[in-house]
Amino acid sequence: MDSLPYYLQTVVNGILAGCIYALFAMGLTLIYGVLNFVNFAHGELIMWGAYFLYLAMAEPFALPLYAAVPLALGMTALLGAAMDFALFKPLRKANRLTLLIAAIGLSFFLRNAAQLFWGAQVRTYGFEIRQGYRWLGVSLTPQQLAIIAISLICICGVYLLFFKSRMGKSMRALADNLDLARISGIHTGKVILSAWIISSLLAGVGGILMALDTNLNPEMGVVNLIKAFAATLIGGVGNLWGALIGGLIIGLAENIAVLFISPGYKDAVAFVIMVIILLARPYVVTDKRTD
Amino acid sequence: MKGMEGRDIVAGYGKIEVLHGASVRAGQGEIVCIIGPNGSGKSTLLKSLFGLIMPREGAVLFAGRDITRLAPEEKVRLGIAFIPQGRNVFTSLTVRENLEMGGTPLDHEREVRRAIDEVLEAYPLLKDKLRYPAGNLSGGEKQLLALARADMVKPQVILMDEPSIGLAPRMIEEVYEQIKAINAKRSVTFLIVEQNARKALSIAHRGYVLDLGVTRIEDSGAELLNNEEVKKLYLGG
Repeated sequence: MDSLPYYLQTVVNGILAGCIYALFAMGLTLIYGVLNFVNFAHGELIMWGAYFLYLAMAEPFALPLYAAVPLALGMTALLGAAMDFALFKPLRKANRLTLLIAAIGLSFFLRNAAQLFWGAQVRTYGFEIRQGYRWLGVSLTPQQLAIIAISLICICGVYLLFFKSRMGKSMRALADNLDLARISGIHTGKVILSAWIISSLLAGVGGILMALDTNLNPEMGVVNLIKAFAATLIGGVGNLWGALIGGLIIGLAENIAVLFISPGYKDAVAFVIMVIILLARPYVVTDKRTD
Repeated sequence: MKGMEGRDIVAGYGKIEVLHGASVRAGQGEIVCIIGPNGSGKSTLLKSLFGLIMPREGAVLFAGRDITRLAPEEKVRLGIAFIPQGRNVFTSLTVRENLEMGGTPLDHEREVRRAIDEVLEAYPLLKDKLRYPAGNLSGGEKQLLALARADMVKPQVILMDEPSIGLAPRMIEEVYEQIKAINAKRSVTFLIVEQNARKALSIAHRGYVLDLGVTRIEDSGAELLNNEEVKKLYLGG
């Protein structure tokens, strides 16, 4: 094997995975910023987002892709809003540990519900795998190109939302200082609902892209939650651009690690990064926010 | 009456009752100052008026209407602004974004832009800093930004908690000049809670002395400044 293209391919694969992790991490960090807790059920939004698309495209609905994707994303957003309404809203004044346990419980519930419905087996959307484009010895399938393009569009969307729209600026204001946001006349309920919808949409898009690149299984949420969490830790929890960079770093680190260790241990890379950061900065999950 | 009034307010935190029936009134266009020792319940009174703490008894009236139970975000839409003590700007947002947040109750983005232009006329100090994060401003600049943010929707009443706390003397002057200017220009009512009693009373039309959760003395600003008891107890001799 020619070594330069091989390394280049590794970097491209890392960026590909990193883009998807960044979408997960930005959604996770958004809820942290606005509500000040880590939503450990975020992975289930990722997984259910992917399965909602599977549901819409499978019999008996058998919807075409252009109709199935908006439907699946809409349902993911609804699931996120329902999560807040049923569980997190009644616990708004609860302490972090309560919220953490509630989120983990919810995560188990949603994961098992998916397993009950679809079974534990690995599924795919059933798109045929197409020949990749080759350039400088690097191969990219049309699907992978689409993943990068869609991730970039989402990231631009997030930028426009948070820095150009009134709703997005209100979300940042709320994350900055909740009391002051209320005093300024910001309807916190509306802003929190919007944050859940955005966070769920990012999870849904990421989940679908991930399933497109690999496959669907009920465990995909948990694994990716850990990676998203590690990414937010790298970037500083609550920091949107930090989450983006963190996601890319995790994606690259995983794929570069495969050059040295067995691919079977790939998922461990994110765990190792997470453990190291938590050892150095344990207050992220236990104590009050860092900013 | 177009002003704001708190009648026999009883309020507190958990089991502790801080206010045992405090009453204040500010007529339209009046600058009213509430002074009193630490722990007398000044901030609690202001928060009760705005609805950040729900009074257990008593009533809050605005332009003759009972607004005791309205949430803060609704009071803002009626034309009442509150400027808290300490952390009163969004530090991670730019100065311009802070002003935009003050314009939240406005319906259209066009109105927000116009309001920003008008506010900048009145607060020229902020003009050069629009693009900087508000966290980079000095204490006095933050206080002016907080005032400007409240001013975005042209409130009829502004409630201010300790505007001079932690500010350099020059900035205290600046903030109080701004308060006087807004009051003179649009006859905005001010209810100011202040530790720096001498400064606040010097611009206030009227003042109250709050002690142990009840309003004890009410008089014009000038009279309070000359009141022997007030001098001895709250103005440092």
